[in-house]
Amino acid sequence: MAIESLKYVAPDTGVKTETKTFPRPGQHASGLVDWLTTIDHKKIGYMYGLSALFFLLVGGLEALLIRSQLWSHNMEVLTNRQYNQMFTMHGTTMVFLVIMPLSAAFFNFIMPLQIGARDVAFPRMNTLSLWCFIAGGITLNLSWFFTGGSPAIGWFGYAPLTDTRFAEVIGDMGPDFWVFSLQILGIASLLASFNFITTIINMRAPGMTMMRMPVFTWMTLIVSFLIILAFPAITVALAELMFDRTYGTNFFDFLEGGKPHLWQHLFWIFGHPEVYILILPAMGIVSEIIPVFSRKPLFGYGLIIFSGAIIGFMGFAVWSHHMFTTGMGVVATSAFSILTMLIAIPTGIKIFNWIGTMWGGRIRFDTPMLFALGFITMFMIGGFTGIMHSSVPIDAQHQDTYFVVAHFHYVLIGGALFGLFAGFYFWLPKMSGKLMNEKLGKLVFTLMFIGFNLTFFPMHYLGMIGQPRRTHSYNEGHGFETWNQIATIGSFILGVGIAIGVYQFLSSFFNKKLKAAGKNPWDARTLEWSLSSPVKEYNFSRTPIIKSRDQTWENNYGPRDKHSQKEPLDDHGIHMPDRSWCPLITAVGLFVMVLGMLFHQSIGPAGELVRNYTVAIGGGAVFVLGIILWSMEGPGGYHLFPKESEE
Amino acid sequence: MPRIINRFSLITAFLLTWLVLFGGCSRVDHKQSALDPKGLVSQNQYDIFMLSVWITIFLFCAVGGCLLFVLWKYRAKSKEESLEIPAQSHGNSKIEVTLILASTIILVILAIPTLQGVVLMNRVPDPNKTETLEKLGLDRSQIDGAITVNVTGKRFFWVFEYPQYGIVTANELVFPASKAVRVNLRTEDVIHSFWLPKLAGKMDLMPGQENFLWFIADKEKILSGESEADAMPAVFDGKMRQTVFAKQKFTDEFEPVGGLFYGQCAEYCGNSHAYMSFRALAQTDDDFDAWVELYQSSQNPNLQPATYNPETDYATGDTVLFPDDSLGEGATREYRALKEIAKGEAPNLSEQSWVKKHSDDYEIGKQLFSSLQCVQCHAVNRTGIGAKGPNLTLFGLRTSLAAGWMRNDEESLAKWLRNSNEVKYGNLMWNGEGIDDDHPLRNLENEDKVVDQLVQYLLGQI
Repeated sequence: MAIESLKYVAPDTGVKTETKTFPRPGQHASGLVDWLTTIDHKKIGYMYGLSALFFLLVGGLEALLIRSQLWSHNMEVLTNRQYNQMFTMHGTTMVFLVIMPLSAAFFNFIMPLQIGARDVAFPRMNTLSLWCFIAGGITLNLSWFFTGGSPAIGWFGYAPLTDTRFAEVIGDMGPDFWVFSLQILGIASLLASFNFITTIINMRAPGMTMMRMPVFTWMTLIVSFLIILAFPAITVALAELMFDRTYGTNFFDFLEGGKPHLWQHLFWIFGHPEVYILILPAMGIVSEIIPVFSRKPLFGYGLIIFSGAIIGFMGFAVWSHHMFTTGMGVVATSAFSILTMLIAIPTGIKIFNWIGTMWGGRIRFDTPMLFALGFITMFMIGGFTGIMHSSVPIDAQHQDTYFVVAHFHYVLIGGALFGLFAGFYFWLPKMSGKLMNEKLGKLVFTLMFIGFNLTFFPMHYLGMIGQPRRTHSYNEGHGFETWNQIATIGSFILGVGIAIGVYQFLSSFFNKKLKAAGKNPWDARTLEWSLSSPVKEYNFSRTPIIKSRDQTWENNYGPRDKHSQKEPLDDHGIHMPDRSWCPLITAVGLFVMVLGMLFHQSIGPAGELVRNYTVAIGGGAVFVLGIILWSMEGPGGYHLFPKESEE
Repeated sequence: MPRIINRFSLITAFLLTWLVLFGGCSRVDHKQSALDPKGLVSQNQYDIFMLSVWITIFLFCAVGGCLLFVLWKYRAKSKEESLEIPAQSHGNSKIEVTLILASTIILVILAIPTLQGVVLMNRVPDPNKTETLEKLGLDRSQIDGAITVNVTGKRFFWVFEYPQYGIVTANELVFPASKAVRVNLRTEDVIHSFWLPKLAGKMDLMPGQENFLWFIADKEKILSGESEADAMPAVFDGKMRQTVFAKQKFTDEFEPVGGLFYGQCAEYCGNSHAYMSFRALAQTDDDFDAWVELYQSSQNPNLQPATYNPETDYATGDTVLFPDDSLGEGATREYRALKEIAKGEAPNLSEQSWVKKHSDDYEIGKQLFSSLQCVQCHAVNRTGIGAKGPNLTLFGLRTSLAAGWMRNDEESLAKWLRNSNEVKYGNLMWNGEGIDDDHPLRNLENEDKVVDQLVQYLLGQI
């Protein structure tokens, strides 16, 4: 961040409150200290994105191992336990450590810029959310190195398979790691969501009414609400599971009167909204990209937002369609079946409106647009197979086969990941200040599109001819070989595509040969494109006064009365908060506490169970200390006085 | 130029995938194919699926075609055109409402058969409702004569109990092709799922809960023109096993054997989940009755061979146990009467009235089965409800081994006995409670003779 040219002035009498009890790294913190203590939403966004991309490669590697094992019948690339661990880790990683944090990266980076804010409402909480996410990711992957290795329970960890009674390795710790890491990740998501909601409700620039907000910001808001309403369910479920495993309660142990069904309900009351938590951000991104590359405003803006909200709302009313085959009886299955079909309507509306947006436009096929179009087509297929599953008799055949695997990969890769990649190609010039290589981008798209379809389209057929999911091996004579081989080849093509893409994203920050992007390389429409690329530390030198939706476009092409204005200058300048160590201390405390809980049991000399909570309590103390310091350290801060041109 | 290449690749990649798919679909009668329904319920599921396929293909063509048209028509053909500013229209509520209504109608088309299908799956039709039966093409006797099977899932095999007949078998469900089959599903450990694609779809086995599904085979489809005896080989006389072995090498491409259906556990249940398959064998009514009778007599404790009693008359074919020290101290051997035998004629081979029922290997294998502790988990010739392992009564009639994973012949069985963990890693015969390296089962690796004797005994269960 170029801040040398800015003059620094000590706070005047009007801003006396900015004292600090404890030292906070200030304006001139640099290097590692800067990254560890930053509260800048953009840097937090970078770190979210970077760690999520790292986990994308990890999860992708797991996927490739899975696909190698399925190359042919009776393969022995992995043992069955290793395979079961792979698909558990692949699923958990991709859902919680890749798609969600990638969305969070965009929420963090883009949303404040879109509403004309200087940062999110609670910048330090935002930092804590990041460190909790990273602690969760580390916790989950630490499981590889301890008794039993990673969990082998599937990403939805159905009880009673998670019960210690059914552990297939004595003292298996995998599920414990899984439980605790999901709890921490839940904290991360909840913190971020409360933050985003507060930001969107309270920190919009003057004139930025709700119905002038960009669709992506709307989706951020809806997803944040989904997260705060959905995560409590899984938090409860995980806490119960922890008690079952650690203290011998029996919420889910049927021999003692527990109910395995209870887990499924709790999990899917979280799990189905989770699906929309994963897909709505991508829909928001696509809703931003299509108008830009068609040079037209979004067709049916209100309806797109409303249908997003309806999808989110109804997402809480369809969870049991994951449980059609668990014996819920005629009435419940029928009701959930019909409700699920209804969700197709708002989803369809979005697709109609995207096509409507392109109608009559001037369509350019730059990389972001290609990914957005890939999103529409792939998501459409995933949606159609979704309609099929909503019908109970069809689901009775499809449930837990490769047809379902194909379905949710069409939605989550063809949908969510393609959408997020579109977002990267679209917004990275804003982040790095440089345009990316279009040819390389198109190569990535082509590889991913072909690889993806080769991998997952045949799975529909494989499911129909009888290949069950989560089986590490299949016998000869089922006729599965050819299609699995095609899928495996496809998965490697997809993997290469993704790897090149990730390389391209990273190199756009370091490659000096790339051309400068300028403020608005795509001639885009929303507010963030009125800022310089890369965006300055303070985002807006003067807060804009918003006059219309698509403000940047109106500034460029609209009538005068729709041009945005700026708040008048004052001698107070821009107050920038100081950095803080407290979020990191708090997160480390939490992490140590979790490790303490994970390892608190041992076997004593007489073979008795010994519980030792020293480490857990120590971690808890650090956690509490972090929060106390946090509340006492005082705002601190410094003032910047950028010139008019430096925005 | 690159723009054209990309649009081109997008479209062709798409068309190619579809083409390849349809090319590949030319054969759909795979072992576990849901596209080859052979029963009433699965046919109904298939019909609704195909309806949904046609609906979605129509939608895909309509929406996708529309998308392609828009992309083609409104593409920016030149640099200048890409800088033009088209009319900034914001939406059209009439179009929106029309599309919403249209999608609703399409969903209703799918919803109606769905609801009917839900009822069909969950409830066996009432035999008193002639109209319903007629509509489904069923005869009252098919419902009235329905059989019940209690399925218990265990890691990693299946128990099939026939409460009407008081018999228990494992991993191969024998049923009459012309009768409805009610299946009650239970589990003793984790969740499993009973999936029989060609007949019934699937239903989970939930701990602490009893679930239900039913199916009825479509006899016409199984027969497909052949006579009953050819199309559905009998199980009880070993013909099914012979036919399966003759027609398909276990590992070959799927060569259909009439009446043989493949099933699989479809809910992840642990290490060996992939190996938890089963078979369902359709029989003619007569063959089924014969099988039940054979089974009942095998598992009836009153019909087990008793120790020879000099006070009893024996009829031809009767079996008795008589001490035979050549098999070991205190051991007994089964003898069969070759003719009517009056009181007091003790088994004496020289007199041509009694004959050894089994070979020496079989008899030794039988003893080994006890002394090696197999009998602690496996029941032979008794129902053994609660036994940990699969019931092995009439094991020699089964077509498959290790829950459908291997062909049930001498070679595979020997391999299985030597080291089952190598075949089916994580199975509870090798890894279950109380089994450690000292257990005799884990020390059969190089015991050729012992393994052979066990094989003789087990496959001799016919």
